[in-house]
Amino acid sequence: MIVFDSVCKHYGTFQVLNNCSATINKGEIVVICGPSGSGKSTLIKCVNGLETFDSGQITVDGTRLHDPATHLPDLRRRIGMVFQGFELFQHLTVLQNVMIAQRVVLHRNKAEAHERAMLLLQRVGLADHAAKYPVALSGGQQQRVAIARALAIDPVAILFDEPTSALDPEMVAEVLAVMTELAQAGMTMMCVTHEMGFARQVANRVIFMDRGEFVDDLPAADFFDGRCSDRAGTFLKRILSH
Amino acid sequence: MQIWNWHGFFIYLTNRYIFEGAVTTLWLTAFSICAGFVLGGALALMKRSRHQIVSLPARFYVWFFRGTPLLVQLIVIYTGLPKFGIRLDVVTCSLIGLSLNEAAYLAEIIRAGLNAVPPGQIAAARALGFEERQIAWRITFPQAMRIIVPPLGNSVNGLLKTTSVTSVISMEELLRRTQLLVQEHFMVLELFSVSALYYLAMTSAWDMVQRRLEHYVNKPYARPTSSRANAPANAQALPDIGQDAR
Ligand SMILES: Nc1ncnc2c1ncn2[C@@H]1O[C@H](COP(=O)(O)OP(=O)(O)O)[C@@H](O)[C@H]1O
Ligand SMILES: [Mg+2]
Repeated sequence: MIVFDSVCKHYGTFQVLNNCSATINKGEIVVICGPSGSGKSTLIKCVNGLETFDSGQITVDGTRLHDPATHLPDLRRRIGMVFQGFELFQHLTVLQNVMIAQRVVLHRNKAEAHERAMLLLQRVGLADHAAKYPVALSGGQQQRVAIARALAIDPVAILFDEPTSALDPEMVAEVLAVMTELAQAGMTMMCVTHEMGFARQVANRVIFMDRGEFVDDLPAADFFDGRCSDRAGTFLKRILSH
Repeated sequence: MQIWNWHGFFIYLTNRYIFEGAVTTLWLTAFSICAGFVLGGALALMKRSRHQIVSLPARFYVWFFRGTPLLVQLIVIYTGLPKFGIRLDVVTCSLIGLSLNEAAYLAEIIRAGLNAVPPGQIAAARALGFEERQIAWRITFPQAMRIIVPPLGNSVNGLLKTTSVTSVISMEELLRRTQLLVQEHFMVLELFSVSALYYLAMTSAWDMVQRRLEHYVNKPYARPTSSRANAPANAQALPDIGQDAR
């Protein structure tokens, strides 16, 4: 589904991504973790072309990113993305947020988009809030709407970039619950997160990144049972002690 | 000679000639703000360009039109263009002068509005597969309007009065017609008071429109007070700069 082949990227002389290769199969849940500044956000943004990379190749559902024939908006409408800062459209209601891409990008008619949006809002438990504007929602609620918005374009995979890092602790669980439900429904997910409980229970694989490199790429069980590298071990000890 | 002639005052207050002058002022303002907004929008986009070939001419334009008096611009258009064989009537010259001048100010206002849209909103739209043009119309522009509307309203208010400058090229708007009557009837105070009342009526009417516009663009950002505790700490709610900015 998503294939990274020797992906490299520099900011000036600083190498953010160093020869990253991995394959994420259909239906797989892959968690990416690593210290702050290790290049996780950069990597995930490369997948849907929000960031460019210098060399190597990323292939998403058969479409190559480094290919002049690839029209990025066409590629992006097949991948959902959930941001750390939610990024719901502030001038639109919750319902409109979940409808707009269906209308503008997929050209669905109003009734169809409305029906699909309400179904998705029910799925994330927010149908009652459809008429509200994002500012009127809590962070956890906003992030659940953002997930519904990402699902509305019927993506083949969803990218999460630290979806719970901006949330108060009591709201983390409600967002993870929605993500877990998605995973069980068979969605392909690439998820940057430091929620190790979620990674252990839901992920198939864990990729540990450090200084732009994929240091570990292991089945989740192996990763947490001490078969990870020393660098990952140190990292795990540090975040689990918090 | 009387100090104040009430009879004359009321005669002029209902004078058709003056009233039509006020109507002229209104459509001069309406046309110039619309044309200025379109041209100002284009200038704002040019100024935001990374390419100097595009941004430099826009910067020069704004620098020039904000740096010289409208009075001079109007006279140059009215007396200068005929020397190059371009002969335009007074109305056209007035509309061109006002629009070109207004565009320079609106360019800055629109640019500030566009810059205020958080980059994350645009990234979110891109991630959903929006084309750049769709992002501009569906996301950037509507969100920028919230920042643009308050100063835009001030511009309309200012322009209602600035149109009077076109009287120097004998455009018969409200002030020019007032002056013409003054020359005939010498009731200086009464006539200018009538004219001031007309300007007040027009700016007050605009104030009401502006308040509604501001309410409209701010509606999504107004947190319901009852669930304030529910609202996230990092929501991008800007202070309401609407009425206080004036
Ligand atoms: N636009 C940029 N210009 C220069 N350096 C950048 C830019 N964006 C990110 N970086 C650097 O790249 C590194 C990786 O950033 P990021 O992918 O955000 O890391 P992570 O998400 O793992 O915390 C960081 O050291 C960051 O400072
Ligand atoms: Mg990051």
